[in-house]
Amino acid sequence: MKSHSRFALTTVAAAAALGLLAGCGTSDPAPADSGSADADAPAQLTFVGYGGEGQDAMIKAWQEPYTKAHPEVTFVNTSPPDVAQVKAQVESGAVQWDVVATAPYAAEQNCGTLFEKLDTSAIKTDDLVEGGVGKCYVGNWVLSSPLAYRTDAFPKGKGPKTVEDFFDVKKFPGQRGFVTNLQNGILEYPLLADGVKPDDLYPLDVDRALDKLDTIRSSTTFSPNVGALQQAVAAKQVDMFFLPDSRLVPLLRDGNDITVVWDQTVAGVNVFAVPKGSTKKEAAEKFLVSVTEPKQAARIAELLGVAPINNTAKPKLDEYTEQVALYGSANTGETVLQDVDWYTKNFNDASTKLTTWLAG
Amino acid sequence: MPALALLSVILLVPLFSSLVRSLSSPTWTLDNYAHLFTDGVTLTVLGRTATTALIVTAVALLLGYPYAYLLTRVGPRARAVLLVVVLVPFWTSVMARNFAWLVLLQRGGPVSEAFAFLGMPDVVLSGTTSGVTIAMSQVLLPFMVLPLYSSLGGIDRRLLLAARGLGSSPIVAFWKIYWPLSRGGVVAGVILVFTLSLGFYVTPALIGSPQQSLVAQLLNQRTTQLLDFAGASALGIVVLVVTLLLVAWANRFGGTISAIGVVATSGEGTKR
Repeated sequence: MKSHSRFALTTVAAAAALGLLAGCGTSDPAPADSGSADADAPAQLTFVGYGGEGQDAMIKAWQEPYTKAHPEVTFVNTSPPDVAQVKAQVESGAVQWDVVATAPYAAEQNCGTLFEKLDTSAIKTDDLVEGGVGKCYVGNWVLSSPLAYRTDAFPKGKGPKTVEDFFDVKKFPGQRGFVTNLQNGILEYPLLADGVKPDDLYPLDVDRALDKLDTIRSSTTFSPNVGALQQAVAAKQVDMFFLPDSRLVPLLRDGNDITVVWDQTVAGVNVFAVPKGSTKKEAAEKFLVSVTEPKQAARIAELLGVAPINNTAKPKLDEYTEQVALYGSANTGETVLQDVDWYTKNFNDASTKLTTWLAG
Repeated sequence: MPALALLSVILLVPLFSSLVRSLSSPTWTLDNYAHLFTDGVTLTVLGRTATTALIVTAVALLLGYPYAYLLTRVGPRARAVLLVVVLVPFWTSVMARNFAWLVLLQRGGPVSEAFAFLGMPDVVLSGTTSGVTIAMSQVLLPFMVLPLYSSLGGIDRRLLLAARGLGSSPIVAFWKIYWPLSRGGVVAGVILVFTLSLGFYVTPALIGSPQQSLVAQLLNQRTTQLLDFAGASALGIVVLVVTLLLVAWANRFGGTISAIGVVATSGEGTKR
């Protein structure tokens, strides 16, 4: 009975606060007292993505096909996927979210406390990119932030060709752009430019990375999020930048003349996690299995330009998405995959050091 | 009274739980506060925030005082126009105004072009503290003009005539008569603008950059990235206490609380 009353409380709180689950109480019978809801029973999953076009693509690539195959499972969409919000929900015992997009290390750092341990035995892990599943997450795509520049900012053929060039303000003057989110390689690229071999990157020498960033500090725009840097590129505020693939594609589609440089490229998996105490964990797990399947992985790559999490996926890329395809023929350079374990252990330290460096 | 009950539930209870959390997590300790002063960044950012807030307040006062004075001296029609000029941006979405400033101040934007035209290329104000200060001053100007207007409007101008008649110069008459009478409005405006500046998030986040982050951005990072709710609570409490101390201190210079009350019931001021 305990789980029943908590569920009712959850629904009331959600309806009162957001009006999101207003219809949920009637369409969704409370889970049985056994505690493990039958996954084939009707379920409405509250899905939290990044909003905007990205979430529309998630709906098209993953939710719609899944509801078609499993009519009993429907989705309610909301955003943004703040882990702080997950923490607040878990602490107050009113968990409203079921599937949350996040960084893999955020899921692992809070594994078992804020996020549910997941049963991923139904996933063919061998087909996935390294680190595609973790104890508390299931990967949804691979995000890469290759070096790129505005073609018109440099004389023809004279743009930066390597990560090292990006850090050479003498040979390549101009405004640089970095996203301060650790997922976009702000710590890896300076080390690569400083001569660290990709295999020796982890454990990251954060202090050395910040020392290298010091050399370009005065000519770099540090954007607090990818949207801000995307906007800065479109408004010609920066000349060369590390912007994720999924943000390069809309810029290319809008006719911005951008050259993507495939030297060394930092990439990382992006993931879904299930907040601790979600009443629909099993339904969420089943849905997450479908996200890693080749067809779904290919579809999201086609829509957004991200790289598929499943190595057997065969996305049909268009002229824009193929320019940013990490695993496509365009990438003639080296790929560095972020080390989830290192970030899980060191995220707080590294993030604090970076913030201190930035704000100091 | 129901309003008071509602207010205490939605404002005081969370505030109190923030205070408790900042002191009790992980155990009962002052570590969260001590950490603020030793982490090497919080003090820098607090100092930057206070400086920015001071400059914004000074700019708003320098622009707002003559403007409010003008409002009390013109005819009803001109006054209506001048008031609308203040109120329209006040009612416009904060996001719209800040994006407008971003467009104005960015590289190659009108402001930077104007500087280039004057022979000063490479003046880019977006991403700088100056840019943030300019935008914040504009966004917060109504909070200075409105209390000043209601305070200045209530000043009996015959007192100035009397001063002149007794032989004082216009400057002395202003300084000895008008300025002291307007002090309630000045204190109210200064307090409003300064405290709002201390907690400003949107403008520094959009127009500034992480290099110039103010305290609200630090709070955001601490909450959403580090999930350090206790540390964020401690920082929030420190800002709150500093603000309350400032208000109490300013209160000695001419009844802040009553002066802010004047804004709400501007008719009250005329009885002075």
